[in-house]
Amino acid sequence: MSEPILTTRNLTRKFGDFVAVNDVSFSVLRGEIFSLLGPNGAGKTTTISMLSCLIAPTSGDAAIDGHSINGNPNGVKNAIGVVPQEIALYDTLTARQNLNFWGHMSGMSGKALKTRIEEVLEQVELTDRADDKVEAYSGGMKRRINIAVGLLHKPKLLFMDEPTVGIDPQSRRRILDMVSDLRDQGMTVLYTTHYMEEAEELSDRVGIIDHGKLIALGTQKELTKLVGQQESLRLHLGEGITGESVQELFANVDGVLQSNALDGEVILSVTEAATALPGAVTVANANNIRIRSVDIQEPNLEAVFLHLTGRALRD
Amino acid sequence: MHKILSIAWKETIIRFSSRTELLFFLILPIAFTFILSDGLAGDPSEGTQSIELLVVNVDDSELAQTLVDGIDATSAVRVALVSAETAADQFADDATAVLTIPTGFGAAVNAGEAVTLDLQKEPDNNDATIVEQTVNAVIGSLNQPLAIAQAGVAFAEQTQPFADTAARDTFFVATLDRAQTLLADAPSRFVVTKPDGSISEEASFDVTAHQSAGQLVTWVFIPLLGVAAVFAFERNHGTLRRLLTTPTTKATQLLGIVSGHVGHAIVQMLLLMVFGAVVLQVDWGKSPLGLVIMMLSFGLAGVALGTMLGTLIKTTSQASSVAILLGMAMALLGGCWFPLEIFPPAAQTVARFLPTTWAMEGFSNLLAVNTGIDGVLVPAAVLLGFAVVFFGVGVWRFRYE
Repeated sequence: MSEPILTTRNLTRKFGDFVAVNDVSFSVLRGEIFSLLGPNGAGKTTTISMLSCLIAPTSGDAAIDGHSINGNPNGVKNAIGVVPQEIALYDTLTARQNLNFWGHMSGMSGKALKTRIEEVLEQVELTDRADDKVEAYSGGMKRRINIAVGLLHKPKLLFMDEPTVGIDPQSRRRILDMVSDLRDQGMTVLYTTHYMEEAEELSDRVGIIDHGKLIALGTQKELTKLVGQQESLRLHLGEGITGESVQELFANVDGVLQSNALDGEVILSVTEAATALPGAVTVANANNIRIRSVDIQEPNLEAVFLHLTGRALRD
Repeated sequence: MHKILSIAWKETIIRFSSRTELLFFLILPIAFTFILSDGLAGDPSEGTQSIELLVVNVDDSELAQTLVDGIDATSAVRVALVSAETAADQFADDATAVLTIPTGFGAAVNAGEAVTLDLQKEPDNNDATIVEQTVNAVIGSLNQPLAIAQAGVAFAEQTQPFADTAARDTFFVATLDRAQTLLADAPSRFVVTKPDGSISEEASFDVTAHQSAGQLVTWVFIPLLGVAAVFAFERNHGTLRRLLTTPTTKATQLLGIVSGHVGHAIVQMLLLMVFGAVVLQVDWGKSPLGLVIMMLSFGLAGVALGTMLGTLIKTTSQASSVAILLGMAMALLGGCWFPLEIFPPAAQTVARFLPTTWAMEGFSNLLAVNTGIDGVLVPAAVLLGFAVVFFGVGVWRFRYE
């Protein structure tokens, strides 16, 4: 797991005056799961679009398995598999017909394709529903076939663009387990998400992207070191109180380094939770703010994002 | 090549995944061709039970007898000659209808005067309605020979006056009889022979052949425009975007979609031609090579226009609506439903810029004028020109999202 399969160099994409991806450089090593973590609109999908040769970079380049996205897009396309954010399938075809079609588009055919279709159907646990039309599938099943299409031709590098968006927790769990299995099988995955928990659970390394810029990169351990020994106090507030309205009140509590508001809650970055909590409760009581519950969190990627941007990941 | 075939096959499965597609692919085109080509012509009430019509004929003219015989000759209605009293009794009882031919009917018609026939019928009775339609149809069939006979009498009188009324009546009836005979034997096809040899074989216009070609162009052209919906679907569902991340070029994708839909069009055209040939006796086989050239050029022009529309239209429902409206309008203006000659000159000029016009011209040349391959070269070239222009614009405007 030392040799990079993907290397980007100063990758930039502008749409008019808007800079969607700004001078991004990183590498993905063979066999690792690399997550690009960032809020909606951070530039994750634009980055994947450039890497999968859908749009050309305004400047910069990337090499995938030795092929430049600018110079040899066909070589790149042969090396990658893409699981897009949307369900890019034909509803009126069965799952097997979809896989057969996409297999042909990836250059497969004959018995090899047939065998591989059975393998991926088993992998996504949809063998018994393979001959049903996709339009009859649940959202989670569609997501799994969407992933199966990306895996079909055994790509050297798999791009997964927010593959758990809009599905129920059970289906989400199934997909995350599937991605873990891919790592066990040695597949290299570039995974984009705005869910901190997914990045934490799946990734060998994480790149944090915001406003088109890669603002941090490393293992989870390396990233959490950036926030020092900080902990997070998450105060869930009573009904009718928005985080924004009380954010400033908690910023002045002893031991609080940073106060951030979310919908119905406030996240406090603190040097030590046990010291800061009584002060926070005192301020709440003095201002008739009801605290419904409190979570104390060890340093995590959310805290890293907060530390680096001054905003919560879901802002 | 196998990618192109895969895309074409995918288009086929998607298009025919709904059974209702067969309705538009084959059933409705066949039905429209059959109906509009006079395949159902004949007695409108054919196949129904014979209904009794009481006729009170108090006019002893030959014309009155001709009318009675005409009604009785139909399969829908049989005539029972009765007196006025019997008719009144039976109508009061359960008779369906009573027709009274008044005294002086024949003489008044001979003189060109208006005559009123009295038809009493039961209200809200389907049989009575059929009787009324049948009587009207028979009177209608008499009107044309009557007009001819009246004109004949007038012309004869100008040349030499008749000796008496009886002689006049005799001449009228003889002329009427002759007109009826000639009209019954009138040809349904006009044959025009041009002396200069520019078209050496017989030139003909055949309503059935025109409808067979016109309905073929209409029902094949609309789904070809519907290719616009394919592009809208692919864009909106992200499949086009995903296709472009595979080692499949845009040209391959386009060729796959185009070949799939042109293939459907050719199969549809062949089926409609077989129907025309077998059921309607339309001679589609005069120039097989000419047919192949026309089918390919028409298919390409249609699918190219659909491709161009696909780059202008955002949703599948918009695409379907536009395809139907535009397809119908272009079929009408292109002379697919009625001969182009009946349109005003301005409309005929506009029609020269429509692919449907050239498709009709090519197919009509093969069918009616029987010019062989020479007759399709210009229409096919124009259609291919349309295809190049439409594809050019389509590829230029092609976006994956």
